[in-house]
This record gives sequence, C-alpha cells and structure tokens, in this order.
Amino acid sequence: MTTQSRTTYVHLIGAVLRYTVLGIGLSVTLLPFVYVLLSSLKTPSEIIHIPPTFFPKAPTWQNFTTIFGDPKVPLGLFFFNSSIVAVARVGVTLFTSSLAGYIFARYEFGGKGVMFAIIMAQIMIPFQMIMIPLYLILVKLQLIDTLWGLIIPAMIDAFGIFMMRQFIEGIPRELIDAGRIDGASEFQIYWNLILPQLSAPLASLGIFTFMATWNDYLWPLIVITTHERRTLPLLLTWYSNSHGSRPSLTMAASVIVLLPIVLIYILFQRQIVANAATSGFK
Amino acid sequence: MATPGSLQRAQRRFAFSVMTPIMIYLMVFSLLPMIWAVILGFFDYSPARVGGSIFGLGESNPFVGLKNYIAMFGDSQPAGVFRHSVYNTFLFTVLVLPLNLAITLPLAIIIERSHARVKGFFRAVYFLPTVTSAVAVALIWGAIYNPQAGLLNSLIRTIGLTPPKAWLSDPQAFVFGIPLAMIALIVAHLWQDFGYNLVIFIAALQGIPQNLRDAAMVDGANEQQMFWYVTLPLLQPTLLFVCVMTILSSLQMFILAQVMTTGGPREQTTTMLMSIYSNAFRYQNMGWAAAMSMVLFGIIMLFTIIQFRFLRSDWEY
Repeated sequence: MTTQSRTTYVHLIGAVLRYTVLGIGLSVTLLPFVYVLLSSLKTPSEIIHIPPTFFPKAPTWQNFTTIFGDPKVPLGLFFFNSSIVAVARVGVTLFTSSLAGYIFARYEFGGKGVMFAIIMAQIMIPFQMIMIPLYLILVKLQLIDTLWGLIIPAMIDAFGIFMMRQFIEGIPRELIDAGRIDGASEFQIYWNLILPQLSAPLASLGIFTFMATWNDYLWPLIVITTHERRTLPLLLTWYSNSHGSRPSLTMAASVIVLLPIVLIYILFQRQIVANAATSGFK
Repeated sequence: MATPGSLQRAQRRFAFSVMTPIMIYLMVFSLLPMIWAVILGFFDYSPARVGGSIFGLGESNPFVGLKNYIAMFGDSQPAGVFRHSVYNTFLFTVLVLPLNLAITLPLAIIIERSHARVKGFFRAVYFLPTVTSAVAVALIWGAIYNPQAGLLNSLIRTIGLTPPKAWLSDPQAFVFGIPLAMIALIVAHLWQDFGYNLVIFIAALQGIPQNLRDAAMVDGANEQQMFWYVTLPLLQPTLLFVCVMTILSSLQMFILAQVMTTGGPREQTTTMLMSIYSNAFRYQNMGWAAAMSMVLFGIIMLFTIIQFRFLRSDWEY
C-alpha cells in the first residue's frame, strides 16, 4: 500500500467514525420527540400494554379529540393566556430596551454611569433571590393570580438594554443630526430614524424573549392559582397530574404544547442558533 | 432653528423623562425586593400572619436575628431537608459539568470538521431540545423512564438485560453511591441542555484562525497535539465562560426535578431552589426560605465573581 492511499484510507475511516458519532447523536436527540409523537397516537390500552410497542398498531387521533373536546380544557383560552403574556413581554421588552439603549448610546447627562451600572447589576441578580419579596409586592398591588402579574415584573431587561446600546453605538451620528436639523423631536428621532435601523437585534431579542416567556414555569407557578388563568406549561403539569392513569393523553397534550414552539424554531432556526452562540445566555 | 443651549436642554429633558420611570420601576421591582429578601432572612415571617405595620414584619412575624441561619446547622427536619438539597444541588452540578463538556466539546469539534452542507443541519437538530418547554421535556422523559411501559426499559429488555425496577422512585437504588433517580434526572437534563454549550463551542472553534492551525501543521503537529496545544489553549476563555454558565444554571435546577420526581424518592433529588420554593409558597415559611435563598445567592455570586474576575482573554488573535 502506498503512503498516498494509506492517508486516504485513514481519512475515510475518520469520516466514517465522525458521521457515525453524529448519527448516534442525532438519533438520541430526536428519539424522545419521535417517542412522544408516536405515543400520542396510541390508544389508551396500547400505551399501557406490556410488552410496550414503539410504533402504534392502530394510529388514532382519539387522544387529541378527547383533549379538544374536554370542557375543562378550553385550549383556546390557555393558548390565549400564554400568547398574550408572551406578546406583551416581547413588546414591552423591545420598546424599553431600544429606548434605554438609545439613551445610553447617544445622550450625555448627569448620573448616566451610575444608572447604567444599576441596570447592568440586574444581570447578576438571580431571580430566585427576589422571587419571595416580588410575590409579596404583587400581593400588595393585587396583581397575584392575574396575567399582569406575569408581565409587570419583567418590563426591564438589562441584557436587552446592553445589547441595544452596543448596536446603536454603531449607527452614524449624522443620522440623528440630520433628524435634528429637520426639526424632529427627540422621541421622533428614536421612533422614525433609530428604530427602523434595529430590525436585526430587535428580532433576536424578540425571539429570545418570546421563547423564554412561553416556556416560563416557576414564576407562573407562584403567581397563578385560578385554572382559567393558567399558561400552557402550568396547564400541562395540571393535565398530567389529573390524568395520571392515561399517559397517552399526557403525551398528546405535550405534543400540542410543543408544536407551536417547534414550528417557530424551524422558521427562525438560523437566528436562534446564532443568537445563542454569540450571546451565550439562556 | 433652536439655539445649541436649548437643544441640549431638550435632549437632557428627553433622557431624564425616559430614565426616571425606569429607575423608579427598578426601585420597586428590583432594589426593594433585594433589600426585602435580605431583611426577610432575619425574621420568622409567614404571609399567613398579619404581623407589624411595615411589610407585615414584627409582632406575630418576629425578628429572630441569625436564628434562620443557625437553624440550618441544627437537627430540625427542615434543616435536614435543606442540607440534603445543598448536597443534591452540588452533586447535580459536579456531575453535569464534566459530562456536559465531555459531550459538547468533542461533538463541536466533529461538527466543525464536517461538510459545510451538513454542519448547519446537525447544529440545528442538536439545538432543538433547548428551545422546547422544560415541562414537556420532563413529561416525555418521565414516560421514557416508566418502569412498565417506558421506552428505556423496553430497549433494555430487547438487548436481553434486566432493567432496574424503577428509575425515578426507588430510594434503595444507587450507582457508585449516586441515587439512581438523580442519574436519570441528569441524563434528561443533559439531553435538554447540551445544545447551548455545543453552539457556543462551534462558534468559538470557527473563530480560530486557519493560519494558526496551518502553522502547527507545518511544524508537524498531529491531530492530538493540534487539539492540546493549539485548539484547547485558544478555547480557554470560551471554556471558562461555558463552565461558569453551566454551573450557574445547574445550581438553579428546578423544573425537571419538580415535574419528574417532585424531589423524591426520600428527598434524593430535591434541589435548593425546590426547597426554597416549597418552604416559601407551600409551607408559607418565607423567612426561612429567604435565608435559604441568601445561601444560594451567595454561592451563585461566588461563581459570577469568578467569571468576571477571570474572564479576561489572555489570548489575542
């Protein structure tokens, strides 16, 4: 065997090994998704059958129709709860982050450094430390057990402000000066000239905030007590606990909750992954 | 057109009209809760009792000084649970960190080397579990671990082995002294979480300039030497960042354990955050819970400071 062909041979083995590892990783990653999907299509008797099956013998939509037809599970309402909280938090976060980021990037005023430090200190404060007093404050404000209680404590995002400031610092000052010469007010400059430049970072921050809010569990668990005000993750644990003997229903409910976020991920996969890679925040 | 003086005034007015509400908001929803949390830790406070006039502190919610902190070392039942939760949280973190790195770093290197066309595909699929709801993940893995009809045990039976009698609820099951339920939880957590570190490593690897690798190649470095003497040192800042972020998120483990095991069997998977949550919101024992949250805060702060202290890159390229 010549050296030439030996190196190609070694290369080939390397490639085969690499793709084997990647393939195993792929199966392990996707298997739970496939499993929940297939389980959700099984009949209640098949899913507890021993020995268990992997593929449903007679695939059925029965579990989904049971959930959709359950008067105690008005799915539309729970989707509405989750959506309204997510949309409100995305909207408010994008507005406050871009506005404050703009001020910090382009204005000079007394106390600016201190204010920026106060905001950045928020990043270091773990939520678990303030959640107990925050709950007591919401009790005083009578916001417990309301969707407002999920929105109002999350209106300022230190990371969002930081990210917007970084980005706005790259926008030429001439743009703002031109606005001033045209007689635009300060807010008009922000709204008409700055904001349209921010579509990329706003999209990143928006997607991230949406996903974090949609999957949020601990804070809604603390704040929400009334069934009708539950968000989807809360609904899911409640549903699972109250249908313990019928796992196929829980699997179908999980699919219903997972589906929208997986669709969003498929649509925005590139931005979401790039976002996580550069910011590294969870 | 306005004079420069009046223009500056208008700008300052705008800046203050934006910053004032933000600062007031942060005082109410951030500074106040922080101070309140510290104070609560020194009180025997329950929201079920009326207490004094200021935030319900005092009277039926008396000031107890360091009693909550001292009680952590005592032999009361909640103190035992708390110490158990500290141990569990550290055990979880100490196991998750090396396992996570052992999966993500090699996998990132392999993906980095594969063909550009498949690279994006693998990265996207591996990242998928991180965006899915942790509650759904917990329910799916709960079904996988089901002793009778679960996927895992049927796989184990297929290859002719005898599976354990329960993955999540057998208090007698240990592997190398680690509760089996904890191991099951860690596997589910790794599955959900590895995508984050993976994409961060891939991005860092892509940032290593090709000329450095070329130079090492010219010097006759083999693959292993390349990894230990070129790639790894250049990844050092990323590695530290990833370690600290993984430690911080592991220390705050909550959802998977809460939904999959509710801390059982026999508190073997109760984490600090779960202990804080149930004491504060289930047993209404908020003074005690606040003191525990201070301990967790202290631990988290320590690692945050380590990150800020050492996260200055020694390498410029």
